[in-house]
Amino acid sequence: MNDIAVEAQGLTRVFGEGDVQVRAVHDVDLAVRRGEVVLIMGPSGSGKTTLLSMLGAMLRPTSGRIVVDGVDLATLPESRLPMFRARRFGFVFQDFNLLSALTAQENVEFALNLTGQTGRRSRTTARRLLEGFGLGARLRFKPHKLSGGEKQRVAIARALANEPAVILADEPTANLDSKIGHEIARLLRRAASQQGRAVVIVSHDARLKDIADRILWLEDGEFRSMTEMATDPVCGMAVEREDAPHVRHDGETFFFCSTACRDEFAADPRRFHPTVTGTIA
Amino acid sequence: MSWVTRVPVGRRSLFAERRRAALGIAGVTVALLLVLTLDGIFAGATRQLSRYIDTSPADVFVSQPGVRTMHMSSSSVPLASVQAVQQLDGVAWAEPILYQSGYLTGDAGRQLAYIVGSVPGAPGGPPTLTAGTAAGPGEMVVDERAAEAMGLTVGDTVQALGREWRLSGLTSGLTNISNTVAFVPFDDFTAAAGLQETVSYVLVGVSSGRAPAEVARSIQETTGLTALTRSAFSVEERGLVRDMSTDLMLIMTVAAFVIALAVVGLTLYAATLARLREIGVMKALGARPRLLARIVLAQAAWTVGPAVVLAAALALALGVVVEAASPNVSMVVEPVSLVRTVVGAVLLGALGAASPLIKVARVDPATVFRRSL
Repeated sequence: MNDIAVEAQGLTRVFGEGDVQVRAVHDVDLAVRRGEVVLIMGPSGSGKTTLLSMLGAMLRPTSGRIVVDGVDLATLPESRLPMFRARRFGFVFQDFNLLSALTAQENVEFALNLTGQTGRRSRTTARRLLEGFGLGARLRFKPHKLSGGEKQRVAIARALANEPAVILADEPTANLDSKIGHEIARLLRRAASQQGRAVVIVSHDARLKDIADRILWLEDGEFRSMTEMATDPVCGMAVEREDAPHVRHDGETFFFCSTACRDEFAADPRRFHPTVTGTIA
Repeated sequence: MSWVTRVPVGRRSLFAERRRAALGIAGVTVALLLVLTLDGIFAGATRQLSRYIDTSPADVFVSQPGVRTMHMSSSSVPLASVQAVQQLDGVAWAEPILYQSGYLTGDAGRQLAYIVGSVPGAPGGPPTLTAGTAAGPGEMVVDERAAEAMGLTVGDTVQALGREWRLSGLTSGLTNISNTVAFVPFDDFTAAAGLQETVSYVLVGVSSGRAPAEVARSIQETTGLTALTRSAFSVEERGLVRDMSTDLMLIMTVAAFVIALAVVGLTLYAATLARLREIGVMKALGARPRLLARIVLAQAAWTVGPAVVLAAALALALGVVVEAASPNVSMVVEPVSLVRTVVGAVLLGALGAASPLIKVARVDPATVFRRSL
C-alpha cells in the first residue's frame, strides 16, 4: 500500500480575474504519510483555508494535482466527490459543526449513513466510538447540552467513523481551554499513530506543535519554512529538530528538549529505547 | 428498505424549532381547513337544495322538454300530459305538481322559498309533518326552521303568491342556507298563479319490478317531454348549483391554497436559512444533493402531512358543530373533497420545497471552514 495518504503537487488556486485577481495558494507541494501529523500554521489570509478546502475535495484547484489515497481528485466527476469525501476524509472544525438537531450518537450515525451504513450496525458503531471517547453517558445528548471538549470529541468520533485515510482539522483547539485542547490534540495524535491516519491540522495554536511530526508555515499562499519535529525519548516532549540537543546512536539521531534529557538518555539508551544496542557517537 | 433506518435529519431539524414547526403546521392546517370547510358547506348546501327531490316518493320526474332541474327553472307541462303518462306501460301513478320561486312573508321577516302546489293526499306534498295538519284550502305547510325564522307558528298567517295563507302545519329538513320549501294545495296554487291547464312537473311512480330509467326513457319517447329518474334529476339539480358556483369556489379554493403555499414555503425557507451552515457541514461530510433534497422534502411532508390530518379531523368536527349551531347550514366533508385536498397538499409540499431546494443546492461545502456564514 502507498505510504502517502495525501499528496499535492504544484497546487495553485486563483480567485477573481484581472485587477481583482487573488492568488490564494501558489505552487504548493505537500505529501502527508499515513500515521503522520502535519501542522500548517500561518497568519490570517495566508491561504490555509483555501488549501484545506482543496485538500478536502471541496474546491477545485486552478492548477496542480491532488492525490488522495491513490486517487487523483481531478479524475473524479463532481457527482462522485461527496461520496469520496465521506469515505476518505474525516473533518474536524473549530466550531465543532455538529448538527444541532441530532444527538451525539446520531451525529456520528449520520456520517456512517453517508457511506451506506444504516440501522443497528451504524448505531452500534457510533455508540462504540463515542464510548471509546468517554462519551458513553452522553449518547443521547444534543450538542447544546455538551461541553466544548465533549462536542469536539463527538466531532472527532464522527470524523473517524468511516475510517478515513485523511483527517483534516481546522483550528480544532481554538475554542477549548488548554487542558481540553491538549486532550483533543492527543486524540488526533492517537488517530495518526495508532490508526495510521494522515492528519493535517490548520491552526494558530502553538500547543499543537507538541503532537506534530512536521510544521509548515504558509504565508502569501506559499510554504515559507518547514520544521521537522521529533519526540524527546526521555520526557516525551515534542521538539523542533533544528535547535534541539541531539545525539546519534547506532545510526539514528535522537532529539531532546534539554541537555539534561540528552545526558540521561546517553547514560542508559536502552532504558528509553529498547531497540538500541550500539554505542553513542 | 435502508432509508427508514437512517437518522431522520429532516424531521429532527424541523421539530428542533418546535414553535416554528407548530406555527407552520397550524398555518397549513387553517388554510386546508378553509378549503375543506368551503367544500363541505357547498356540498351540504347542494344536498339540502335537492332534498325535496331526494325525499320524494316519485321514481321519475317529468318536465317541459329541455328542462332538467327545478332550481332556476320554469317548467310548463300540459295538464293533459298527466293522463297520457298515467296510461303508459310501467307507470303505477302520475301526479302533477306546480312549482314557483317566491317569498314567504311572516310577522318577523321573509324567506325565499320554492312553493310547491300538490294535490292534497297525493305524492308531491311535504315529506313529513312535524306539527299541525296537511294543507287544506287556503292553507300552507312550511318548514319549521323557516317558520321559526319568520316568527310563525301553526295557525298564523303567511303571505305568498300575492295572497294570505293560514299556516296549517310544519315540515322539516327542507330549509337551507339560501331558501326553504313551502306547500299549498294544487287548486289554490292554480288560482293564485292564474294558471290554466298547465302543471310544472309530473311525478311518476313506476310499477313494481320496472326500472325507473327504462320507464323514464319510455315516457320521453312517447310524450316528447323530458323524463329523468329521481337520482338523475337530483344530480342535475346539484350540478346546476355547482356550475353556478364553480368560479366563486375556485377563487376561494385557490386563495386558500395560495395561503397554504406561502405558509409551507416560508416555514421551509426559514428552516433552511436557519440551518444553512449545517447544510454546508452535511455537504462537506459527503451528503449528496439527493440526500439533501430528501431532507427538505421530508420537512415539507412533516409540515403538510400532519396539517392534512388535522384539517380533515377539524373539518369533520366542524361539520357536527355547524349543524348543531345552525341547522339551516349543513357541512358535508365528502371523500372526493378529502382526496382533492390531499392531492393539493402534496403539490403544496412540493412547491413549497422548491425554493429551499434551490437554496440548499447553492450552499458551498467549503463555507464550513469559514468562521461565520
